[in-house]
Amino acid sequence: MKHMLAMILAGGRGTRLHDLTNKVAKPAVSYGGKYRIIDFPISNCANSGIDVVGVLTQYESILLNSYVAAGGRWGLDAKDSGVFVLPPREKADANLDVYRGTADAISQNIDFIDAHSPDYILILSGDHIYKMNYAKMLEYHKSCSADATIAVLEVPLKEASRFGIMNTDENDRIVEFEEKPAEPKSNLASMGIYIFEWKPLRKMLLADMKNPDSNHDFGKDIIPAMLEDNKSLYAYRFKGYWKDVGTIDSLWEANMDLLNHNNELDLNDPTWKIYTQDMTTLPQYIGPDAVINRAFINQGCIIDGEVKNSVLFTGVKVGSGAKVIDSVLMPGTVVESGATVTRALVADGVKIGKQAVVGSADSENIELVAKRVKGVE
Amino acid sequence: MSKAFGIVNFGANHIWVEGLHDYRPIGAFSFLGRYRIIDFPISNMSNSGIDRIQVYVRRRARSLTEHLGSGRHYNINSKRGKIHLLFSETAVQNDIYSTDISAFMDNLNSIEHVHYPYVLIAPSYMVYTMDYSALLQTHIDSGADISLVYHSVDNAKDKYINCQTLNLNKQKGVLSLEPNRGTAKNRNIFMDTYVMKKELFIELIKKAKKTSSVFTLADIVNSECSELDIRGVAHRGFFAPISDFKSYYDANISLIDFKNAMNLFDDNWPIYTRTNDSCPTQYFDTAEVKASVVSNGCLIEGKIENSVIGRGCTIKKGAVIKNSIVLPGVYISENAHIENHVIDKNSKIIHVKDIVASPEKPGYIKKGDTL
Repeated sequence: MKHMLAMILAGGRGTRLHDLTNKVAKPAVSYGGKYRIIDFPISNCANSGIDVVGVLTQYESILLNSYVAAGGRWGLDAKDSGVFVLPPREKADANLDVYRGTADAISQNIDFIDAHSPDYILILSGDHIYKMNYAKMLEYHKSCSADATIAVLEVPLKEASRFGIMNTDENDRIVEFEEKPAEPKSNLASMGIYIFEWKPLRKMLLADMKNPDSNHDFGKDIIPAMLEDNKSLYAYRFKGYWKDVGTIDSLWEANMDLLNHNNELDLNDPTWKIYTQDMTTLPQYIGPDAVINRAFINQGCIIDGEVKNSVLFTGVKVGSGAKVIDSVLMPGTVVESGATVTRALVADGVKIGKQAVVGSADSENIELVAKRVKGVE
Repeated sequence: MSKAFGIVNFGANHIWVEGLHDYRPIGAFSFLGRYRIIDFPISNMSNSGIDRIQVYVRRRARSLTEHLGSGRHYNINSKRGKIHLLFSETAVQNDIYSTDISAFMDNLNSIEHVHYPYVLIAPSYMVYTMDYSALLQTHIDSGADISLVYHSVDNAKDKYINCQTLNLNKQKGVLSLEPNRGTAKNRNIFMDTYVMKKELFIELIKKAKKTSSVFTLADIVNSECSELDIRGVAHRGFFAPISDFKSYYDANISLIDFKNAMNLFDDNWPIYTRTNDSCPTQYFDTAEVKASVVSNGCLIEGKIENSVIGRGCTIKKGAVIKNSIVLPGVYISENAHIENHVIDKNSKIIHVKDIVASPEKPGYIKKGDTL
């Protein structure tokens, strides 16, 4: 698809993920046994036939930059195709400045977008877990003759005040946008996925850059300004699994969702694969005394103990007599023999020593284990 | 960068694996769930700094070409290095004229054009790991004309039948090559792995062709034993020639034991393979899995014991799989009982519930079959 270009906002830190995002940006956080969160929007782009994807990085971007630059992982390495890493940069006619907001990140890369001369621009968040065909959304956008189309998800009305809510007319044309309303009038939550006509958006962004009162944000500034101008904005209703994993509890929960029979995300669907970095590891080695019950386990794991109701990422080791219950173990975690891990999320490469006990079955919150836990001798 | 280029050679005509071999060459056999046998020689070469690799293919090339692709997944320099698929032009199934020598003759130009002084030849039907850069250095330091890699075993009476063996003198000089007929316990099994100068290799190809139309590389090396300085170099660690159905089954089963696997695999010696982008494997609440090797992309509700499960298999509730090798994409329905079997790729066990053979004579279910 040459006429729509995707820009993924991947600069966020994800402060509420605490130690998980000390050294990496939120889109680079691991999810689902083998993926990073950003694999979802990039794979969606690749599967939707989008050839050019820009990734706007800012916070702790070293790992993310090198990770997304290898576009071949998602098949985005053909001629006139690629994943482009776009951190803030110094330009001849402007000072080096951080991205001041979601809209500013796009404004600062107008030259990059112009070089591909698209008709449409797709704005995505690098923080969300979902599968979506953006080509269908573009078709809808065209059929509405919209100036902009915003993907929305129906959420329970009592939770609607946590989201940006779109109030629509009977044709799903957006009449009002309310950011986290105390008394929501609708349950259509914005997913932070926008399709714009590039030329008019370009004009708006140039104006917004110079506006000292603007937050340079799509939700706070651009969308309200368009509504005020009486532009035609349409809501595109998305049905399916969608998660914004902002906290340790919600990241844990999103992983646990994968344990259900016929879970909605269905990572096993051969027609819509999620691509990621290829790891060179052994297959899973399940030892003679292992007990595995309700688990989602990736290649390279070596399991001699008990694993119940848990998600194990690449190369996790569970020693004999160890118990892993209701937990998420990130890549390279080692649970030594006799240790017990319950209701915990263990960060990449953390070792839990022999006989150690981590987390508890009746804790209110999921315990994040980001440092080595010493064994009991 | 290595001084040698690599050749991955196919096995001689006496090597035949009942069943699986009907569909693909041994190099393309699924192995230990996520690998293909050819991943081992190519990864050995790649890890040894050999990045110009010729893979000789005799027949049924489809699955092999698909698996090797551009060769990028073998971590070979994408500009300087190359995996080159070369086809035997005279290949006919079970034809005695279809030898490695005839394939080399068909592609002599490609061999002459490679600018490396040495050649390292390894078979596509054998599973082992070895540092070829050390082997090449040993060869150069010894001053020998040809070095052959062997593995000393003490169970050659009933295993490794039909594999070539080396008769060595005390200085590890090779006196002759001879097929293992199971007459002695202690044998030096020849691992079909050679190092020599490229010029000598070309000379031997031409000489073999002149001597006999059905000569193999092993045949001509054998007949040169008194003329050339040919020496044996011992290999240690896990090794398994896949020379018949039982050896394929046994090699898979023996690597379920993690201790055995550690004799083959090493964190510093990665075995590369082509990714299939499968998601992790899902174990449901009724799953019961013990002493097994499982690949990604499976949905497991049944019981698995002492088995190897390939990518993307579905094992339904109440199904039992014991002492079996299940290749990728297999579907096993509710309450099916499978013991001592190799289930080939994409087959479905639906209506027949008891598929049991003896451990001495494991059974085989054809590729894509529905039972």
